[in-house]
Amino acid sequence: MKLTVTRDELLGRLSNIQNVVEKRNTMPVLSHFLLDARSDGSRITATDIETGIREPLEAAVATEGVLCIPARKLFEIVKELEGDISLESEDAQWLQVSSGKSSFRLACLAPEEFPSWPEMEEAVEVKLKPDVLEALVERTLYSAGESDTRYTLNGLLFHIEGKRLIVVGTDGHRMALMESELEAAAPEELKVIVPRKTASEVRKFLSSEEDVSVHIGKNHILFKVADVEFLARLIEGTYPNYHQVIPEKNDKLVTMDREAVIKALKRVSIMSRERSNAVKLDLEAGLIKLTSTNPDLGEANDEVAVTYDGEALSAGFNARYLLDVLQAMGTESVRFELHDQLSPTLLKEDGNENYRCVVMPMRI
Amino acid sequence: MASRDRRFTEDKTVLCVDMDAFFASVEQKTNPRLRGKPIAVIGSQGRTVVTTASYEARAYGVKTGMNTYEARRACPRIIFVVGNNARYTHTCREMEKIFLRYTPDVEVYSVDEAFLDITHSHRLFGGPVAVAAKIKEEVRDLFDIPCTVGIGHNVLMAKLASDLGKPDGLNWIKKEDVAGVLDPLPVDELWGIGKKTAQKLEKMGIRTCGELGRAPASLLRNKFGIYGETISCMGRGELGRAVEPTQGETEQVKSVGHSITLPADVTARADVEAWLLRLSDMVGRRVRRHGLMGRRITLTVRYSDFETVSKRVTLDAATSDTHMIYYAALKAVELLNIKGAVRLLGVSVSQVGEDHGQMHLMEEDRKRRDLLGAMDEVNNRYGDGAATWAVLRGRAERKRSRAGVISPAWRPTGVRNVQLK
Repeated sequence: MKLTVTRDELLGRLSNIQNVVEKRNTMPVLSHFLLDARSDGSRITATDIETGIREPLEAAVATEGVLCIPARKLFEIVKELEGDISLESEDAQWLQVSSGKSSFRLACLAPEEFPSWPEMEEAVEVKLKPDVLEALVERTLYSAGESDTRYTLNGLLFHIEGKRLIVVGTDGHRMALMESELEAAAPEELKVIVPRKTASEVRKFLSSEEDVSVHIGKNHILFKVADVEFLARLIEGTYPNYHQVIPEKNDKLVTMDREAVIKALKRVSIMSRERSNAVKLDLEAGLIKLTSTNPDLGEANDEVAVTYDGEALSAGFNARYLLDVLQAMGTESVRFELHDQLSPTLLKEDGNENYRCVVMPMRI
Repeated sequence: MASRDRRFTEDKTVLCVDMDAFFASVEQKTNPRLRGKPIAVIGSQGRTVVTTASYEARAYGVKTGMNTYEARRACPRIIFVVGNNARYTHTCREMEKIFLRYTPDVEVYSVDEAFLDITHSHRLFGGPVAVAAKIKEEVRDLFDIPCTVGIGHNVLMAKLASDLGKPDGLNWIKKEDVAGVLDPLPVDELWGIGKKTAQKLEKMGIRTCGELGRAPASLLRNKFGIYGETISCMGRGELGRAVEPTQGETEQVKSVGHSITLPADVTARADVEAWLLRLSDMVGRRVRRHGLMGRRITLTVRYSDFETVSKRVTLDAATSDTHMIYYAALKAVELLNIKGAVRLLGVSVSQVGEDHGQMHLMEEDRKRRDLLGAMDEVNNRYGDGAATWAVLRGRAERKRSRAGVISPAWRPTGVRNVQLK
């Protein structure tokens, strides 16, 4: 294998794969990427078994070949180089990297060891605007679990029903759900769980204008974003029934200024008990009082004016959960829909029914 | 420091209630055919170490820690009885209720020993001796087993008084008699001074507590460091430690754990899982009882060759749910990649804090919380294992008669971590 590539092209492409390659030393081959150099188009592939990424590399190929190269090391080298870079394999073991007067010899692995790109089974394709997909992921991912032993929670549910795509994240204490309309109806109802890491990585590539094409199969999901392909193994198992969790009878409707309540929550939670982040909300006509107490520290009180004329209600919340939701929202005013102090509270942007968040209170 | 210094000098009235040959007494009480006979309780059929010998057996020289062969050589007529942990812990818990009638400051030190600070309450009951006598009577009435009560002006002297008063005794070492009692007493009869320390002291020419108390503190400090100062005080019958009530000790808790030396080494994955569920249940119950939750679950595995490894799993949110603890322990098993025969398993929960009452969104989580609450109530009322998992029923039932070896540091209440032995 022998090729020449510009520094910026190689650096950009290597930067794309850094989060996907495995950092832990469980399987050495996973800390490598596969470079497939062809005169009719070269390709880079990286995977951690769960998520795979494949992208083209713009390079002038003199001799075709395949090599399995340490991803982190080559990235570090390229960062420090200037000008065009030449990559040349001596055999399946060694790669010569040179640019100007600098040269490196890098130990490589045999390409046969690299896991093959899974065959995508029969799939349903949907098209999404990049900004729509970004919002869907951005506004639900914070609610998803990270290292829950109920592994289905460590991902986002993509639920497609006709022309509706619903993305859901929950960790069992709170849930975020965002709905979006598809351009064309899907032929069948689909429910798949996309691993957290995949969703989080895809998000970084959504700055382009082109539509994202999402292929959903039985075991895999493939995102095609411009010339980059993401393939992930779907999380097997049953996602909790999110419909059941959305409260429908919440009769106490409160509208308030988003910024004002964010600021008050941040102030008051300073005095919350460590780890609990508990803040008490006392709702009365025209007003929410926020309180936190910590027997070791003292207490904090604040007030926010709201639009509300129903009966009084007190409930405790983890301030972190409320802040996460409020900061993910974009409108000037937001709506809290409450029932009582033991039931889930629904939060919405004012005038937007497509983004709904449910937060379970704390016992006070 | 000021408050600590005060503790050294401030005299208390402390009771030490020590059950006489506890496990053996309970067994003799439950099975009348064992009464009056030399018996020895052993941890399980797979193990062979004597946990407790009855007084009849002790007369033949049978001691705790002997193996069955040694015990039989000392006393050919000895009867070996496999211990029933659930029975002991239940008895212990009931006994704590008796103690709490006399003072809130009860430290259940181990399954068969408790300290009671009655400094302020004994007058209500007619003085220290009256309290001690009443407790002995109540224990006798309720369980028909003997205990010895020691009275002293601190934990150390109360413990010594009960040691010297055994069996079935009531012994008060009054402040003015302390010097006289300690003067001829060999140092290793003092609680907290082990054989090794005693040997080192003997090389320094110190054999009795009196000699220990009179030895220059600097000499002891040079030899033993800070511990030297402690034992110097102990030689004079002083101990800077108050009774630490086991109820309400939640503030300083860092972790809650249980470990068990298995009745016999296990290799099958299903067996490991069953034991882990059992341990997770014990830990979960104790965490819940104290209104706590923890985020980090640590699994400890000791192989048959005594190599000990552990793995921890940190969860997104703190939990007190047996299932979550169990699943985390299973994940740790996965990560550890257990191979070989397992001798001991331990599960502990750390990063512990108060349960701040975050409610669950999912119906199934709420139901499970309610279920665990109901199981806790049943088990509190009818004893451990009254309500348990079917999988444990099958497996553990078979093993019930040869349940694992209870750690001597086991405490029925209180959340202190049980150290691996």
